[in-house]
Amino acid sequence: MRIRRRILNSFLIAAVGVVAVVGGLVWHFAELAAASAAGDLQIKILMFGAVGLVALMALFAVLWSGLDRALMVPLQQLARSLRTSLHANPDHKLDPEVAAELGELSDAVENAVTALIKGRDHLDAAIADETRLYAAQKDRLEAVLRDLHEGVIICNLNHQVLLYNHRALELLHVSGELGLGRSLFQFTNRQPFLHALERLNNRLLDGRGEVRGLTAPFVATTSAGDVTLQCKMTLLTDDSHEPTSYVITFDDRTHELAELGRRDHLLHQATDGLRKPLANLRAAAEILNDDPPEEAALRNTFIQVVRDESHNLSAAMEDISTEFHDIITGHWPMTDIYSANLLNAAVRRLREEKAIEAVMTGLPCWLYGDSYTLLELLHFLTHAVQETTGAKTFDLEASGDDEIVYVDIIWTGTGVSETHLQGWLDERLDEALGGITVRGVLDRHRTDLWSSTEDVGRARIRLPLTGGMTEGNTVAESLPPRPEFYDFSLLNPDTHHEDLGSRLLKSQTYVVFDTETTGLNPSGGDEMISIAGVRVVNGRILTGESFSRLIHPGREIPKSSIRFHGITDDMVEDQPPASIILPEFRRYVDDAVLVAHNAAFDMKFLKLKEPATGVVFDNPVLDTLLLSVSLHDHIDSHSLDAIAERFGVTVDAETRHTALGDALVTASLFLKMLGLLEANGITTLDQAREAAEKMVAVRKMQEQF
Amino acid sequence: MLKTVLIAESQANLRLSLCYLMERQGYRTIEVEDGAAVAERVAADAPDLVLIGVDMENRSGFDLCQSFRNDPACRAMKIIFVTSKARAVERDKGMSLGADAYITKPFANADLLATVKGVLGD
Repeated sequence: MRIRRRILNSFLIAAVGVVAVVGGLVWHFAELAAASAAGDLQIKILMFGAVGLVALMALFAVLWSGLDRALMVPLQQLARSLRTSLHANPDHKLDPEVAAELGELSDAVENAVTALIKGRDHLDAAIADETRLYAAQKDRLEAVLRDLHEGVIICNLNHQVLLYNHRALELLHVSGELGLGRSLFQFTNRQPFLHALERLNNRLLDGRGEVRGLTAPFVATTSAGDVTLQCKMTLLTDDSHEPTSYVITFDDRTHELAELGRRDHLLHQATDGLRKPLANLRAAAEILNDDPPEEAALRNTFIQVVRDESHNLSAAMEDISTEFHDIITGHWPMTDIYSANLLNAAVRRLREEKAIEAVMTGLPCWLYGDSYTLLELLHFLTHAVQETTGAKTFDLEASGDDEIVYVDIIWTGTGVSETHLQGWLDERLDEALGGITVRGVLDRHRTDLWSSTEDVGRARIRLPLTGGMTEGNTVAESLPPRPEFYDFSLLNPDTHHEDLGSRLLKSQTYVVFDTETTGLNPSGGDEMISIAGVRVVNGRILTGESFSRLIHPGREIPKSSIRFHGITDDMVEDQPPASIILPEFRRYVDDAVLVAHNAAFDMKFLKLKEPATGVVFDNPVLDTLLLSVSLHDHIDSHSLDAIAERFGVTVDAETRHTALGDALVTASLFLKMLGLLEANGITTLDQAREAAEKMVAVRKMQEQF
Repeated sequence: MLKTVLIAESQANLRLSLCYLMERQGYRTIEVEDGAAVAERVAADAPDLVLIGVDMENRSGFDLCQSFRNDPACRAMKIIFVTSKARAVERDKGMSLGADAYITKPFANADLLATVKGVLGD
């Protein structure tokens, strides 16, 4: 219509223009005629002009109406018809009369409309198919989730619920807050979930995810605290191994865990409870048999005891067996925990509070337990010790073997009395599950704790735990040790450390370190691919202050060497070269004494990098291999594994042959050696180096035979 | 000189046997039933050996053992636990707190006597 109006307007302007021009001409000629005094000519011109103008206007009117009818109206109808076809009735056809008027145009438009509608139908059908498929899959997934006996919740990393199943709703409806997009922590106790997530994130960062999987079991409660949930969390990652969300499967274990508590109590009763009457009985019976009292009255008293205690035993036995019948057994979920992860988490939490300084020390090992309740326990105990003794700095240390692992909280001062400890047993752990007590955690781990004071003015609380399964250990491949290096100049840098040399061994600061390399030939093009160190101060391994880096070797890593160190080309691809790492390591070492096993080997690599990096390691160096030879010169084998076995140090197969793992083992062996060296009268650094130097000569001579 | 053994045991029937066994070996005995009374008797009579249970009324044997070991006057006194607490961790705790031996119930009288003699050096 707008087009029609515009064309009409143009038409009118053209018409008025032509009429005006013709009118003007007529007027002009009439004026000319008047001027030449031809009066009736003027009138004739005016009359013809007027008639002509009217005829002209009529012509224009006829022309417009013809154009309008032949083009404008059909176009308008075409537009209307198109709208109808597209939006209302796909089968609508243009009026044939109009179509005839428009000729080819209408055919073309009709074809276009048909094609468009066909395409649109096609798309609709495809979408409908896909939707059906997805709906079917969704139904299946929903059916699976619905029929699952366990609750399932998927959350993003902000802990917002992305999906949940019917069972989850059923288990958590008491708290009434479960809904999509809501925070998980509106209906559950936050800490256990965050802790499990942190553990899984650490596992992912450490690269242990591939070996151990990204699933962790743990126990949590609803926010109301009335339902105890046994949960499993699985971390979900994207293609680039970045965590995106997590899945929690869980079930109500309130009842089972209460039953479990009863069962434990009963077992305890059955074992410990029966010991008492049995002891009374046995002692009396043996007296009557071996050495009966001569006095009749006393003899009769013992006989009385035997009879009474037999009765007591029977009654106790009866009680236990009745109670045992209505107990359903369950189990408290426990997992293998790497002590470094547990203690690190505890140290981090303690450090958040300004009043306490905590450091992780010792050689990490595997233990078996419930990570979260142990974390809460350690946190509580450290606080309680601080309040009782006023101590502000603590070492958290784990030590032990496959059987038993001691987790120690160590401070300077005196121990906590047993009376105090007993008083703590019934304290509830702040944020933990359903108000579990210290005693509850100890019972659950079937353990106890005690405090002792040591001669050196240090005190500890000792918590014994079961050693972990160390799943990696069973497949530990025994690898040939590196060849020994005896270039003593590498262990004896040019610069003198007279003041250090005379200082006592036990008062030095050490950095025990290890490198992993592409091969055994430092001068023949082999390069470092990782370096790690750990500080040893005052007889403590400061595990929490370790240095560990991968290095880009600037060359290919030989396939044959990968089984020694497990480091592949991909892993070092984005790592900085030695020229960046070694200055960092130099700053970490500072003026500490360097210690390494077969130190000349590692020092050679550092030495060869000196020109390129400008970093000089002129610290005094001690070699645990040579120290071992000087301590046990009658034994042939001085490999790291052999010494560890001799000193009873458990080596974690999962971290053995990693730079940090080996540095930690070496540090632990070095501490044991320091004690022995002192016993042999070797108390200063100079004396230790002298002893080692002698051994170099001995080893060199032995080689000649 | 006659050596003195203090028997701190909550079970009367076992106290009877323990006393008889010790006296037959020529030791002087003192009987105590309640945990809280043990420290007083130790201070008063300075026994050479204490046979002590863990589970006692009012004061546990672990507690007593720890306080004896922290008391210079009692350093030389021998301590043997005679207890129904039989788990490895409890034995570990007892020995860590400074006991000289740890005997779990029930025991053979002969073993108990051998341990007592060994500890007292008789």
